[in-house]
Amino acid sequence: MIHYFILQAGPVSSVSDTNNSFNYFPIAIQLIFAIAFVAIMMGVTHWLGPKRATEEKLENFESGIEIRGNARQPMAVKYFLVAILFVLFDVEVIFFYPYAVNFRELGWEGFMAVLMFVGFFLAGFYYIFKKGALNWED
Amino acid sequence: MNELQFKALLPYSLLATASIIVILLIAFRRNHFMIQVVGFLLMCGVIFALVQVRPLLPVAIPPLFQIDGFALLFTGLIIGSVAIVGLFSYIYFEAREENPKEYYILLFLSTLGSAILAISNHFVSFFLGLEILSVSLYGLIAYLRNRNHAVEAGMKYLVLAALTSAFLLFGMALVYMDTGTMSFPEIAQKLSAGGGSSVLFVMGMGFIVVAVGFKLALVPFHLWAADVYQGAPVPVTAFIATVSKIGVFAILLRFSLDVNLQNFPLAIDIFAIIAIASMIIGNLLALRQANLKRLLAYSSIAHLGYLLVAFLPGNMAGVEAAVFYLLAYSITLLSAFGIITMLSTRKKDADDVEIYRGLFWKKPLMALVLTIALLSLAGIPLTAGFIAKFYVLGAGIQSQLVLPVIVLVVTSVIGLYYYLRVISVMFAAPVPAEAWEKTVSPLFYNSTYIALVILALALVALGVFPGLVVEDIRTLLTVR
Amino acid sequence: MTINHYIFLSVALFCIGIVGVLTRRNAIVIFMSVELMLNAVNILLVAFSKMHYLAAKIINPATQAGIEGQLFVFFIMVVAAAEVSVGLAIIVMMYRNIHSVDVNFLNRLKH
Repeated sequence: MIHYFILQAGPVSSVSDTNNSFNYFPIAIQLIFAIAFVAIMMGVTHWLGPKRATEEKLENFESGIEIRGNARQPMAVKYFLVAILFVLFDVEVIFFYPYAVNFRELGWEGFMAVLMFVGFFLAGFYYIFKKGALNWED
Repeated sequence: MNELQFKALLPYSLLATASIIVILLIAFRRNHFMIQVVGFLLMCGVIFALVQVRPLLPVAIPPLFQIDGFALLFTGLIIGSVAIVGLFSYIYFEAREENPKEYYILLFLSTLGSAILAISNHFVSFFLGLEILSVSLYGLIAYLRNRNHAVEAGMKYLVLAALTSAFLLFGMALVYMDTGTMSFPEIAQKLSAGGGSSVLFVMGMGFIVVAVGFKLALVPFHLWAADVYQGAPVPVTAFIATVSKIGVFAILLRFSLDVNLQNFPLAIDIFAIIAIASMIIGNLLALRQANLKRLLAYSSIAHLGYLLVAFLPGNMAGVEAAVFYLLAYSITLLSAFGIITMLSTRKKDADDVEIYRGLFWKKPLMALVLTIALLSLAGIPLTAGFIAKFYVLGAGIQSQLVLPVIVLVVTSVIGLYYYLRVISVMFAAPVPAEAWEKTVSPLFYNSTYIALVILALALVALGVFPGLVVEDIRTLLTVR
Repeated sequence: MTINHYIFLSVALFCIGIVGVLTRRNAIVIFMSVELMLNAVNILLVAFSKMHYLAAKIINPATQAGIEGQLFVFFIMVVAAAEVSVGLAIIVMMYRNIHSVDVNFLNRLKH
């Protein structure tokens, strides 16, 4: 039944065909090729390459910089703060998507609702700003 | 949304604005006193708005909310309790080194969550209200963040509450699968049309009961209660014991009235077992507590068990009894926690029963208020607690709930023991105590004192003339 | 794929989450497990939403049935993010106080 090129999505012959999972078959093949390529390349280099273990070669690779100290030291709490704030502000975008898709149908009422949402958000942002949570140097 | 719906939502919008206003006040660097006063005025504004909304009811705001007399009663209870908790908070937090201002944002947010639970009519608003309530509670419990106890309690509550909200959602999803809808009236329609017999539906309801039971600290799910009550700051403990439980109980009551829980003997049996277990275990565990906060935690487990007895009949008498019980219970607990707040010092909360030894001879009025509160918790005649228990018993006997009623009476007698023990400690000969720490703010100290005395008087007044409020409760409940 | 597949997947994820919460001691891993449970519910809700939509479409092609499930998922995601940020803040405080995120050290509250 495969009468089209193997890596190209087949033409949709009817509406009922759009949801046919067989349409995704080329994508699956491409995935398999990609994974196999990477795996083979890694395996072959491992197998062909010579192995001379000197002390310098056994060190952890840190992009050419010499290793100093332990990586597991406590970070400044600022990183956490910024990370947490990022998570919050990032996720709120979720509510803009449905609005952006439907904003004509929702009209002024929807616009007011979104404006209110943004207003609440800006109040929070203003608070964070005033509190100095985003000041990197102290 | 039309004008009527907008007006009916006004108290809730005002409540939501309250926390935004507090955020902005903090951003403009206003002091604690100002935030406290503005917060108190806002709560008064919400109560005023509730009174204004009263003649418009009932208003439905499909699909999420249903504002009726029932919602108004519970919202009123919540806002009243929070106004008093806010009053306590000033003297408690002013004495401590932490910055007290953000506390009010969280306090008003969780109040909003609780109030939303009282009006919600749909799984989405149920979940959102519950999460607004509990996410801000995590912050409130761990608020005194440099004290190890507070963070430990916050962490415990956090893990367990997050786990139960996942359970709640799973339950909701299963119910949604079976009924194809999330709004309570439509679920009720589907059920009366003969749905709701599938295994998945029953499992879903079971998951929801687990989550609600956790929030109310009913017996198989009560393990967090004592630790959280002990570790949280005293005003927050008062808040958990009153506001959060009122809100969750409101939604439980609304849901069971909507779907007519009477028609499901299995559900009634489960709730009866939970109620009996809560009454017995709560009272037994409270017997050996030397820490007043833990004692009140176990006693509140028992009290929620009593409350469930009023919930079981599912008729109007039961609902009336439950509302009156919640009113008496929250006034009582607020006055007890108020006394604990006033006696707490900067270093230590006044939660050891030994601190109260001989309190009567040092501060007679305070001891008297606490005595009235404890007697009311024990259900001694002439206090509101007695009348409340009487109504609950009446509702139970009317519906022939023999076993729960017997357990209620027996465990009340057991409960008497530990309340009387605290009272006897207060009237014992005083130990030569260290000097009481000077109060930080005489104005708020005195107003808290006055508020507590008024609460205690209200307890006695309700105990002697319950007719003062029962008629109002009854007429409000008919607005549906 | 029938609806059962989705239910099995979601129940499996949910159970992995429960086991993670109950057996792990690291607070952050516990949190990840809770997130897993919430996302299991999301899968379930979207699947049920589609199921109800397909069932209703046969009767009425312009139906809006099943929209609630998808809307609910949005709210769950946002609430989960809020929960995580408050949770992380508390975990940071816990680390500052006891220099560990092991929940077994949370045993000092006793009568």
